[in-house]
Amino acid sequence: MTRQRMALLLAALVAATGVLPLLILAVFGLQIVRQRGERSSQEALQAIAEQAAARIATYIAQQREMLRAVGMAVGNQPDAPRRLIDVSLDAPSLGKVRLVSTETPRTAWPRALKADQIAAALRGTEVASDTYIAELSPAMDVCVPSGKPGSAFCTTLDLLEMQRQVQRIRVGEQGYALAFDRIGRLLAAGAGPMRAAVLSGEPVAESPLAVALSSGTPAPARLRNGEGRDVLAGWASLPALGWTIAVEQPAEEALRGARTALGLLAFGAAVTLLFSITIGYVLVRRMLAALELEERFRTAGKIAAGVTHDLGHRLTILRQIEQLAAMNDPDYLPRIRESLASEVATLRRFVTDFSDLTREAKPQDFLPIELNTFADSVLAGAQGYASEANVALELQRAASELWVRGDRYLLERAALNLTRNAIEASKPGSRVCLRVDRSDGRAMLAVEDQGAGIPPDRIATLFESFSSTKRSGVHLGMGLPNVRRIVAAHGGAISVKSKPGEGTTFRLSLPVNGPQSSSPSAPATMP
Amino acid sequence: MKRSVRRLLLLILVVGCTAPPGREVFVLRIAVWGPLGELAPTGGNESSLASIALPWVFERLFSLDATGQLKPGLAARVERLSGQRVRVELRRDATFSDGSPVTEEDVVRSLRAGGLQAIQSDGGLIVAPVDTGLPVDAVLLEARIFRESGGKFVGSGPFAVVSQTETELRLIRRTPQAGHVNDVRVIAHPTPRDAFAHTLKGDANLITDLESRWLEFFRGVPSLQVIHGTGRSTDVIAFNVALPRSERVQLARALETQRVRELAYGSGECAESSGTSDGDGVVAAGPVLRVLSWGPFERLALAARRALGDRGGEVLHLAPQDLVARMKSHDFDLVAVRPLRWPPSAMALVWRTGAPYNLVGYSNPAFDRAVDEGDWRAAESALREDPPAAFVCTRVHLAVADVKIKNPVLGPYDLLETLPEWEVAQ
Repeated sequence: MTRQRMALLLAALVAATGVLPLLILAVFGLQIVRQRGERSSQEALQAIAEQAAARIATYIAQQREMLRAVGMAVGNQPDAPRRLIDVSLDAPSLGKVRLVSTETPRTAWPRALKADQIAAALRGTEVASDTYIAELSPAMDVCVPSGKPGSAFCTTLDLLEMQRQVQRIRVGEQGYALAFDRIGRLLAAGAGPMRAAVLSGEPVAESPLAVALSSGTPAPARLRNGEGRDVLAGWASLPALGWTIAVEQPAEEALRGARTALGLLAFGAAVTLLFSITIGYVLVRRMLAALELEERFRTAGKIAAGVTHDLGHRLTILRQIEQLAAMNDPDYLPRIRESLASEVATLRRFVTDFSDLTREAKPQDFLPIELNTFADSVLAGAQGYASEANVALELQRAASELWVRGDRYLLERAALNLTRNAIEASKPGSRVCLRVDRSDGRAMLAVEDQGAGIPPDRIATLFESFSSTKRSGVHLGMGLPNVRRIVAAHGGAISVKSKPGEGTTFRLSLPVNGPQSSSPSAPATMP
Repeated sequence: MKRSVRRLLLLILVVGCTAPPGREVFVLRIAVWGPLGELAPTGGNESSLASIALPWVFERLFSLDATGQLKPGLAARVERLSGQRVRVELRRDATFSDGSPVTEEDVVRSLRAGGLQAIQSDGGLIVAPVDTGLPVDAVLLEARIFRESGGKFVGSGPFAVVSQTETELRLIRRTPQAGHVNDVRVIAHPTPRDAFAHTLKGDANLITDLESRWLEFFRGVPSLQVIHGTGRSTDVIAFNVALPRSERVQLARALETQRVRELAYGSGECAESSGTSDGDGVVAAGPVLRVLSWGPFERLALAARRALGDRGGEVLHLAPQDLVARMKSHDFDLVAVRPLRWPPSAMALVWRTGAPYNLVGYSNPAFDRAVDEGDWRAAESALREDPPAAFVCTRVHLAVADVKIKNPVLGPYDLLETLPEWEVAQ
């Protein structure tokens, strides 16, 4: 993982753990605010509906009262018919007031009053019809007593003013009121497109709800209106007239405040999160750079200590050889030659180990490698060392060819390292086995010894740099870390199993590449 | 790589060949109520609902602008001559909707059908009314130019009739113009309520002849706008000419008042308030005067009766034909009617001695003389000196139209004569 990715991940984690809980809390809070907002909007709509209903009831009562007053004032005057006609000039909403009596032909009766209602009116009872649409506005036929038996003052009330009142009710930008009669027919509508239903008499979505409300069934406070919009609604009824008033406001508008707050919060949270991640990223990168620098110094110190220790030991031996040579004793020459050869070999290996550390695995240069053949090569390379140590080397091949892709040199250095370690850990006369096989779709190369095993507490730090416990020869403690680096660069992994007194097994696992030609001319592609 | 390039080219080809999203064609649907009738330039069909389309299909020789000035129509040039005659030169590029050119013979024939005689003269036509007592411009305004083709009338106006049924008249612009109304349908509904309901539903997007109280329905409807225009008729209380001139002057003064207007119409209904005589409305004692009314004039009649005080008599609300009969037989004292008032020459059709619409038999030599001389100011003055009626209220014309129409101006003469110039927002 690169330093940048690590920094980004750390910053995101810190920011998320800090901001997300707050965000979740805020969302819950806003939901509560939203619900309360909805409830309060519904209460407001309810209040408006009740006010409108009261105003309309008052208006109708006033009209009827005015009709009664006109009847009382004019009814007994000698020029009553003419004065009744003139009433429409001063009170246009009263319409044409006329005296209806038992002699009045049926065709001249108010059109919406039934015969029994007319009869009741002529007996001195005030009667009123249901509302209907006359000449493009709501109307109602009413008869009031004339004061003389067998006659009544009747008129058709023009309820255009009531319609105006309903149409003028505005809630927010899109809220409106509706008035229904007792059968759910729309009498007046604030919403323009719904006014067509006022004229045509077609039922609207709210009609059954209005009828239900007038019979005592509560109407919903949130519903889909005739245009399919989600609306909040307040309802009120006028029991005397059997009318229902509904005041509706699109939920989208009614709850816009809460929704805006939610949006702002989400935006704020996103900005804060981004800001936190950015700041965190910059700071973590700086910290990681400082840590890396410190780590480099520490590594350099460890290398210097190892090199100093190992080279100091070599220098001591070389000084002893020098002193031996200074004696000019020919008898010592063979010993001096052997010692020098041994030291040169040791120092060459030392240099080779260092060289391995600097060589990078480049996937674009990988070539197909057949693992059985490869293990043969490793076995041959370690044979001399094993013979010196009196350790037998053997190879258990896979049943068929097993191809991987890789840098042959580096993989061989890794396998030889494990094999030499196994030989070094083995007692004279024992055996080291290289085993090639296929497991879980991956290629395996195992190196088993029958040595003393590795103590469990060492296994955890086995692949860490400069952790070697070997003090014979030159050992920087970079062998196993380097093996792990090489295997990881090939997309593989290394594992170890060890039992004290029984031996240790290192297993290299590599991606299988299928049967390939080992010819270098074959195009090499990453697995 | 090659495959990607091929895909890209294919995508460009597909996108390039795909038709752009279709722009909705604007159709003006006019809601009217009553029987549609025939659209014909002759035969007194002005009262049929289809006649609303006359100005778009059948051109006049000239029309009037809002100030009453002549505006070229089919005539490229108009020159006034003495004795109620005009000389006109025709536009040479005019064609009828069947593609044939408009000839002087077509114009002469059309003018003859409109009560005018025309004589070809020196590359033009000299036109005069058959009835020499009528002002030539008033008669010309009623005359439309047409040709009969295959048993149908064709006109030279910007629109042509595509189809007509009992309930729908469809017209399209002969040469479509971007950003203008090109497709018009006049749809007849049985009742005003149906016409209103369909307009509110969006089935129609223009409705005319509204009373101000009905505007309530259309307020706050986002897709519609209200249009106002000055009407060319005036609601009057016409007098029986048997009443002495001095009494008629008194009556006019008593009735042309703001109080009468407010009683009859409420506030803001009348386009003009000139000629009011508030505070001077006393009528001298005399016999009780009966007031006749018809149709929508009952309130005006009642208001007039009240303004007359003790002299206000019975108000009789009659059927139109009964009313006309009683007017012709002078069997009335006062009558509420709505004669033409604009342009000034139109007054001659109503008040000149023996004029076709002069039902009350009014005769005023001073007025006739002024009309003959084309002096409209003097004609107005003569009417004030010897009033045939109290001119109470010139009603505001009201219509409701689609908000997409950018300049919905009502015509000064025919209500929708300006429709071909209306621009439509895209």
